[in-house]
Amino acid sequence: MATVEQAQVLTGQDFYRVCGLRRSIRWYKTWKPVEREKIQRILEVVRVTGSSPGNLQPWRAVVVEQAKLPREKRERLLRADNMQGGHVLAPVWIYWFGDMSVVRPEVFKRRLGEMIDAGSAPTAHGWSREVMDALVDHGEEAPEGLPALNEIAFQMRPEFPAQAAYSETVGAAVVGLLAAVNEGLGTSLCMPAAPSKAHIVREELRVPDTWLPVWLQLVGYPAEDAEAGGQRPRLPFEEIFFEGDATAVFQRDPRVVRDLERAGLLGAPAPTPGRFDELKRLAQMFGYPI
Amino acid sequence: MNEVPARATTVRRWIESVDGMYHLSEGDWTERLRVLDEWCREIGDDPDRVIASARASRDAKNEYMRSLKRFARERHPAGRAAHDAENVVRSFFIHNGARVFVRPYES
Repeated sequence: MATVEQAQVLTGQDFYRVCGLRRSIRWYKTWKPVEREKIQRILEVVRVTGSSPGNLQPWRAVVVEQAKLPREKRERLLRADNMQGGHVLAPVWIYWFGDMSVVRPEVFKRRLGEMIDAGSAPTAHGWSREVMDALVDHGEEAPEGLPALNEIAFQMRPEFPAQAAYSETVGAAVVGLLAAVNEGLGTSLCMPAAPSKAHIVREELRVPDTWLPVWLQLVGYPAEDAEAGGQRPRLPFEEIFFEGDATAVFQRDPRVVRDLERAGLLGAPAPTPGRFDELKRLAQMFGYPI
Repeated sequence: MNEVPARATTVRRWIESVDGMYHLSEGDWTERLRVLDEWCREIGDDPDRVIASARASRDAKNEYMRSLKRFARERHPAGRAAHDAENVVRSFFIHNGARVFVRPYES
């Protein structure tokens, strides 16, 4: 008899609470594996949420389960990154790479063509395949209403593909962080390797030369409290946000702040009471010096 | 507390720095100072000179770490006690600004 698989109803956390709980978690339950479906859901979220110019989507990821690694490979990957504490403890490592090979005029054109067909880049704004050809293939000046793709295609600086692949992948990895928090996991971004040792990561993970190592996302169940000692120091709102031009501070409405405190976005600043007792306990449990 | 290492500038700095965060008990400090004192006697050096050398020379620091490992294993051949003893001295190095390698328990 055929069986019908019951669809799982997924419920995430409140968006503000997810953002408010985002911390760089550095202590993980090494003994508790992460369910494969949770990792897949993180990747699925990044795939549909990541934003990039021309829809280039340069992000690539290699998921590595620490427990499944041969001892020598594990040691080489850890040493590439100087054995950072969180890296040693996290059960899952997601290596994020930016693929420089997709930052090329012809890929821009192809992806933008897809966007036109999908109704995302509207003809009402002046987009059409013929216009793409004129801008990208022939370097004709972009009309008002469209980005200056002719300059990207014909005046692309040599470093631009790497810069674009890198910066867009950073954005994708940040989405990956929020997706992991939404799954009730601890997570953080750390250097995948010291620049002088990036080749080790490339070799061990067998990635193409065009993939730049961008971030290593650590994932696992946190051994520390979900609050992880409180919200990290942030620059004052008024120092970083402006209105109209950079000389006028964006006025912060106290009512909005109160609403966000209630919603869980804005919480107690670190260190919360008991944080160093927690760190002492964690260090003793895992065998780190205090 | 052991009077010999406790008088050293680096030991006072260590205690102040650790207690500024973790507030260890007097019993904890008695034990930590005993371990540090024993290791210093083993290598025939005093805490202040150890830190000065370790911060000035990577080779010297690495040699201290090797001697520390030998010292800990000789006294604690089995279990996690050797790792814990090493961590006491590693903490002394860290809180005095020397760069040392730290790892968790093997299992």
